[in-house]
Amino acid sequence: MAAVIPLGASAAGAPAGAAPPPPAAADLAAATAAARARAWMWARRRRAAGSGLLWALSIVGLLAFWYVCTRYRLEFYMRFTNVPTPADVLQKLVEVNHSTKFITNVWISVRRILTGFGIAILLAVPLGVLIGRYRTVRDLLMPAAEILRPIPAIAWVPMSIMLWPTNEVSIVFITFLGSFFPILLNTVHGVTTLDPVLVRAARCLGASEAQLFRAVILPGVMPQIFTGLAVGIGVAWVSLIAAEMISGQFGVGYFTWEAYSLVNYAEIALGMITIGMLGLVCSGVIRVVGNLVMPWRAHSAGGNR
Amino acid sequence: MNTHNSGSGRIEVRDVGVMFESRGAAVIAVDGVSRTVEPGEFVSRIGPSGCGKSTLLNIVAGFVQPTSGETLLDGKLISRPGSDRGVVFQQYSLFPWLTVRKNVEFGLKMQGVPGSKRETSARTLLGLAGLLSFENHYPDQLSGGMKQRVGIVRALATSPQVLLMDEPFGALDAQTRVVMQEILTNIWQKFRLSVLFVTHDIDESIFLSDKIFVMTARPGRIKAEIQVNLPRPRKPEMTTTPEFVELTQRLRALIREESLSAMGGELKDGGLGGFGMEVGPSGVGAVM
Repeated sequence: MAAVIPLGASAAGAPAGAAPPPPAAADLAAATAAARARAWMWARRRRAAGSGLLWALSIVGLLAFWYVCTRYRLEFYMRFTNVPTPADVLQKLVEVNHSTKFITNVWISVRRILTGFGIAILLAVPLGVLIGRYRTVRDLLMPAAEILRPIPAIAWVPMSIMLWPTNEVSIVFITFLGSFFPILLNTVHGVTTLDPVLVRAARCLGASEAQLFRAVILPGVMPQIFTGLAVGIGVAWVSLIAAEMISGQFGVGYFTWEAYSLVNYAEIALGMITIGMLGLVCSGVIRVVGNLVMPWRAHSAGGNR
Repeated sequence: MNTHNSGSGRIEVRDVGVMFESRGAAVIAVDGVSRTVEPGEFVSRIGPSGCGKSTLLNIVAGFVQPTSGETLLDGKLISRPGSDRGVVFQQYSLFPWLTVRKNVEFGLKMQGVPGSKRETSARTLLGLAGLLSFENHYPDQLSGGMKQRVGIVRALATSPQVLLMDEPFGALDAQTRVVMQEILTNIWQKFRLSVLFVTHDIDESIFLSDKIFVMTARPGRIKAEIQVNLPRPRKPEMTTTPEFVELTQRLRALIREESLSAMGGELKDGGLGGFGMEVGPSGVGAVM
């Protein structure tokens, strides 16, 4: 049987029977332990550095492939004859910035994303929480949602032009639609899979229904909401670019399509790269905000470290 | 905090019955149970699995409504969960997004207690449980035993009259469980609140309780009520005293009967004799 352990002592405490080692031996043991810890940290740093090297290699490799294919105008089954070289695109980037036209196009796309995605968050998160929590709301809204969900946002373009008074609103609507369903469904899933023991615990600690939403359900589904946001922002960009190409004036999608019509190869590539970079920045922002909002995730076994 | 017992925390269970539907048939889970837990008393319920001991606890907690009968706390009918009854669950139930201290403060926050006051009470309680140095950790950084200690402290923070514990140490390893039992008996000694403790571990129930209710296999009824007159405070050495061993044997015999009947008729007719295997819900406890 266990020895008498005072209130609060952890089971992992020092074994009561072990005699302390003589001081010299203890110093030696501490010194070797410190050396081992240092070696271990170095090994970790080396691994981190190796990982960074691979990252750089990946990006340099992609650029090198592009450069070789376009510099030597390779033609096998694919044809790189008309594809601009990296230098062409870089030169184009400098050139387009002589006027504000390009940057205005970028800003207009970003504004459309922020508006459409923002409205999607404001509607999908509360709706998702209500659908997940109340059976009545679920039975009332989910059948309609399930019918509308499989329609790709791009298929809404003609209808959207009919529905909304201006082109601008219809493009924002398409962007909104693209991100609405991923956020909604992930939020619903988060609420329905929330551990019921947490709700019970909150209840018997005196939480009212309103307090339950604020203090338990919302933080409890936060990880799934952010999964929804990560998926949603990607679909929002896809939808936005498609809508801009079809019906837009202004925007990066429009810029890229216009370049194609005007047979301006370097601008096509510049438009594509800009879209890619904007998508990358948006996903990065969502990840950073997610880590700030959910500091506990850094410690959980399944969390992203 | 009621460091002395003011005579509140009396749980009355009056002729409670619970039925539920399973594959189109009504199953009687609990049948006509009437018992009282006196203020400041530590009562355990023990019985074979599926005997409705957790169901009864859920009724007192307010999670489940009985099909018949009623339960009262200090003369008031129990109809929903409330902070006058602290609950410690078998599963870890800490909010993973809150630090240890914020978890303990949760109940007080729901009551609208101001922040500085919440912090003081939470820190006092965490100190009692030896967890003060972990106040800013998240639950995922704690061991199972520590999580359950925080769970107990959190349930105590709103100064409930009773503490309901549903196999709280069931998920812990045997060594940790023994330490947790000691911690719990020390905490109880300090707060002197009524405790209703559900377990299937015989040694655990004797070590902790003033009184043990042995439940029958389904439908759950009270088969026997055993008074534990071991002196307080309880110490681990007591588990080897003749009184303790005698109680263990009595309880094991009572539960063995119920486990066998729960497992079906063919085992009851001596079918087990030839195997010489030790059947008992106490598991490891039977070996210790």
